[in-house]
Amino acid sequence: MNETSTPAFRREFTIAMLAYVVALCLSIYLLQVVRVGGYWRWLVALMPVPPMVMVAVAVMRDLRRIDEMQRKVQFEALALSFAGTALLTFSYGFLENVGFPKLPTFGIWPIMALLWIAGLRVVRRRYR
Amino acid sequence: MNNLIRDLRADRGWSQAELADQLGVSRQTVNAIETGRYDPSLPLAFTIARLFALPIEAVFQPE
Repeated sequence: MNETSTPAFRREFTIAMLAYVVALCLSIYLLQVVRVGGYWRWLVALMPVPPMVMVAVAVMRDLRRIDEMQRKVQFEALALSFAGTALLTFSYGFLENVGFPKLPTFGIWPIMALLWIAGLRVVRRRYR
Repeated sequence: MNNLIRDLRADRGWSQAELADQLGVSRQTVNAIETGRYDPSLPLAFTIARLFALPIEAVFQPE
């Protein structure tokens, strides 16, 4: 089995990400070029969400497929990401109270993902 | 815990990857168990002992 991902996960994740990119592009096109109106804008804005659910399902399914040590590594990395994201976002929130520019909430997930990746690198080294 | 997995594996001429396939785990997990960096769960420890046809106490010893 691969250290980083199983073939089934790579397949499911790739399909989900492709669907996400297509949905995102279509959503942007419909909102900014076609300029759909009314309540349709809400639905169009949320078009990327079902593929995002597919990505989440792919990740959850892989967590059930991997072995016990890999699951432990993922748990520790996710815990690092969870705690790190909380610390960073709250710290910046305090700075926003004293005049720092307000950042969009879109920025939170990339922080969490980067810390997850960094956490995996740190934790895996412990078991080599 | 200490274990004799590396020696037992070498006696049978198996690579870590081959042992991993037989146990249904990753090669990295086999390596971590052999080097003592990871202690397997009880079910996995029994699976390992059964694969080598040895009692579990013959494969794993406390430090």
